[in-house]
Amino acid sequence: MNKNILQNLSGSQASVLGALAGGAEIMFGYPITPATEILQGWVEKCQKDASLSYLQTEDETSAGFGVIGAILAGKKAFTASAGPGNVLLQDPISMAENLRLPFVGIMMQRGGPSTGTVNYSQQEVTLTAFGGNGNGLRIVYSASNIAEMHDLTSKAFSTAWKYRFPTFVLGDGYLGKMSTKVNISDSVRSVTSTLLLKEQSEPTYLRNCYSSEESFADMLKDHISDWNRDKDKISESESYKCKHVSELVIAHGIVAEAAKEAINSMGSRKIGLFRPITLNPFPTLQLKKVLQDNKIKKIFIIESALAQLSRITKYELFDKDIQIIEIDKPALGFTPEDIKVEIGKI
Amino acid sequence: MSQINLLICGEGGQGIQTIAKAILDTANLSDNFISYIPSFGVEQRGTPSIAFLIISDKPVLYPKFNSADICVILQQRAIDSVVKYINPNTTVLFDSSTVLHTKIPKIAAKKLGLPATKYAREKFSPRSYNVIIYGAISKMTALNSDQAEETIISVLSGKLKDKKLEESYRQAFKFGYEAVLETGKYSFALYQTKTEINIIRDQNKTAEIDPNLCKGCGICILKCPVKALQFGEESGVFALPVPTIDIAKCIACGNCRRFCPDGAIGVDKK
Amino acid sequence: MIDKMPKSWNRKTKPHLFCPGCGHGITLKQLGYALDELKIQKRTTFGIDIGCSLLAWNFLNCDTIQTHHGRTTPVMVGFKMAKPSRVAIAYMGDGGGYAIGLQSLLHAAFRNDPITAILVNNENYAMTGGQMAPTTELGIKTSTTPNGKTLNFGNGFLGPELVKQISQKQSFVARVSVSQPEIVKLTLAKALQNQIQNNSFSFVEVLSICPTNWKTDAKDSFLRLESMQKYYKLGEIKDESN
Repeated sequence: MNKNILQNLSGSQASVLGALAGGAEIMFGYPITPATEILQGWVEKCQKDASLSYLQTEDETSAGFGVIGAILAGKKAFTASAGPGNVLLQDPISMAENLRLPFVGIMMQRGGPSTGTVNYSQQEVTLTAFGGNGNGLRIVYSASNIAEMHDLTSKAFSTAWKYRFPTFVLGDGYLGKMSTKVNISDSVRSVTSTLLLKEQSEPTYLRNCYSSEESFADMLKDHISDWNRDKDKISESESYKCKHVSELVIAHGIVAEAAKEAINSMGSRKIGLFRPITLNPFPTLQLKKVLQDNKIKKIFIIESALAQLSRITKYELFDKDIQIIEIDKPALGFTPEDIKVEIGKI
Repeated sequence: MSQINLLICGEGGQGIQTIAKAILDTANLSDNFISYIPSFGVEQRGTPSIAFLIISDKPVLYPKFNSADICVILQQRAIDSVVKYINPNTTVLFDSSTVLHTKIPKIAAKKLGLPATKYAREKFSPRSYNVIIYGAISKMTALNSDQAEETIISVLSGKLKDKKLEESYRQAFKFGYEAVLETGKYSFALYQTKTEINIIRDQNKTAEIDPNLCKGCGICILKCPVKALQFGEESGVFALPVPTIDIAKCIACGNCRRFCPDGAIGVDKK
Repeated sequence: MIDKMPKSWNRKTKPHLFCPGCGHGITLKQLGYALDELKIQKRTTFGIDIGCSLLAWNFLNCDTIQTHHGRTTPVMVGFKMAKPSRVAIAYMGDGGGYAIGLQSLLHAAFRNDPITAILVNNENYAMTGGQMAPTTELGIKTSTTPNGKTLNFGNGFLGPELVKQISQKQSFVARVSVSQPEIVKLTLAKALQNQIQNNSFSFVEVLSICPTNWKTDAKDSFLRLESMQKYYKLGEIKDESN
């Protein structure tokens, strides 16, 4: 049943609706700005629908382990957090990585390190994609507008349960708090969730601790092989005005939306935007295609962080003979004018 | 000598790392360079315990190797973990009283047997079999015998509660050092864990003791109210003695089953 | 063949990986008998912690999840919320329950989460080689209290007493000892019934032995246990406010 509704929503509200659309059943969370509204919004939904439930836990770490417990029992579970809470969640997320659990988290980036600011940054890219003591086999979507806060949150559940990698939606404080009229689909994505502790006569034994390097290494190899097999199906990107251009902006999240406006106002300059929608796995093939189809001389990597996006992007570009200019403003936003001015300098 | 890659394997609880440490300390007294690293898992007991030692006339930079010059085996169950290190140049030294020589990978250049557990039980102290093996290793790697002896006694000092025990360990070392190693006619591996359960009956009760599960902890012996249990000659899971039961004394109170942490013993009135 | 072990023990994974004489073996045996008698093996989910408890990862004939250190309680809380029909057990040691996992244990009690937490107290962190635990009593030597534990590290941690203070009325909290295996079984059964029939929180601390790190034989292990029982009181912990 596809019903498109035009409504005035904040990014946090959109994300709650996205979770419902994705089939979420239970949320564990601890209040932390700017993710609290997601917990708050979910709790309100629980008041109206007895099939939904929540637990406000004693801290973020417990919230993450609660999510794991519910997932093992076959429920679509998630959490939402930010900054220091994201740091605390690395403990349970690492366990989810080891056991290939469909852990879903909405991470609203704020200034860091430490308590930093409560409002905004793009500084949790490395943490969300490569945190913990694992191999970075985590799917990370970066939402750039309110509609994506809804759609990517919804998609996160189907991606997580299909591919069995912890899956995250990166937002930020600005996206969380901004409100605008947005068109979102009301359809529920059907997701098959299964009992991971299977309740069969042969018991299921799940452990994350191994005694021998060799058997553990074999298990990791299998996970990596699955990742390599699936990453191109999972990765997504948007190419904006990337026809006949000689310059490229690479940006994600809300900075990419500002970049779009900046590009629109740059008139005759032959510049386009490549926006990774999944930061991990990175949309390598799509970026290669843009570079193949155009003669790109300069790439501007723009982010509200120190080299977190550019580190993973440059990994893809290392053999390309292109000038790369990094425009970093850790914990500070970019208006379209800011971007136009920065690019205009070069 | 340029370099000797020495691998010692057994099970946790057999004192593998103890003798490895003694070899390390002894070799460090000479002009040679030596490196040591244990291989270990989470369990404290019952899983393979492996020591990698490299003795060289040059500084050793990396503590592990792909193939062993000498591989020492104290527990048959540990062989699987070290098969990949045994090649046509490897000399294997093994405890022939507990390890079947037929289980040693055939690819090894030489198989030298030493019935350490047998002699430890018969002549020295039951737990000194690792020191007997250490004696033989010291000889094979040309360590100074006096230094090697003092080092092992020093490493074990906390455990050797009296002079008599210390002396028996010294004798065990010397025995191992001077032992003529078996090269063909190996001792009978009589201290293998039996596979069948011991069933002991009389007219009104049946007792079962399973050596495959018994770890020789002695709790059943302690908790038996009529002292019907005592350690016997058979070996259990970690090559530790398994209890025997005097069924006539037994009153089938159920304490042994109640307390046994391993489910290795029980008595029913039947 | 005589029964020497509970039906809910997985025979295929025996001999198990615990040390000779380990109190976990005695505790798990009585837990096994409790599951047998209550006939709940098929609907029990068993959560275990890091430390020696992780060696029980394939021990029982029950679905088992080995979690991170101190995190067994919150995992089983989340699990039980999602599947209330299952019997949820959170099994841990003194570190997982009273150090890194204390916060979650207390909050589960505080919320009356209907899980059964079982804590094996052997007064040390055994798997890592015998460091002090919150439960190590004054004067006891461990690898991180080589001259005996002093008050600046705290006396023996009275866990059940603390947990009872913060629990709701319907909770069942008790301390037992492996010196009395029948009582261990009966108490664990009672704790599980508090989850099944009263949908409430239960917590049992089991005083246990660790011959490997205490460096004791069978006799001395049980003597030390007797001494522990002088400080750690056995029995159900009742609500003081009544």
